[in-house]
Amino acid sequence: MNSKKFALFVLLGCALPPVSHAQVKHIQMRVEGMT
Amino acid sequence: MKQHLGRQSGVQSVDVSLIDGKVEIVPKEDGRLDPPQLLKAVYDSGVSVAEMEITARGKIATDASGNLVLNVNPNQSFAIASNNLSKELEPLAGSAIAITVRGQLYKKVEGKTKRKPDMSAPLRLFVLEIQKKE
Repeated sequence: MNSKKFALFVLLGCALPPVSHAQVKHIQMRVEGMT
Repeated sequence: MKQHLGRQSGVQSVDVSLIDGKVEIVPKEDGRLDPPQLLKAVYDSGVSVAEMEITARGKIATDASGNLVLNVNPNQSFAIASNNLSKELEPLAGSAIAITVRGQLYKKVEGKTKRKPDMSAPLRLFVLEIQKKE
């Protein structure tokens, strides 16, 4: 692979948004009886 | 309670605010976090949960009964309670579009104090906000 093609791959890799996994991202609870 | 929650699978960090009774949980990237298990863990610590909200990313599908579900990973899905926002999600069922939603997964029934919720009943996600469609 020549250096131009390699540079193009790197550029595209940076430009595309990262694919994040499907998952629970955050949980918040309100609790009672905490001392 | 903080230590007990921190030992649950899939938990990255736990932040407890004594002033307003809020507990924030940041999951690990491994996707092994189990909200019903966290609910049980809080009650096992001698504290009752008034409500639980989650932010999750996943795909919309329908179950065998035709009800909407949010699939967050191959082994975990949440049934979606019907409301105005859930109607917006109906057309996305079965599509490749991933959505990020914030919703209420549990709310204590008024009048019950320090009683464990029924863990055998599946938790239903009441969508409060659709944050992203991609």
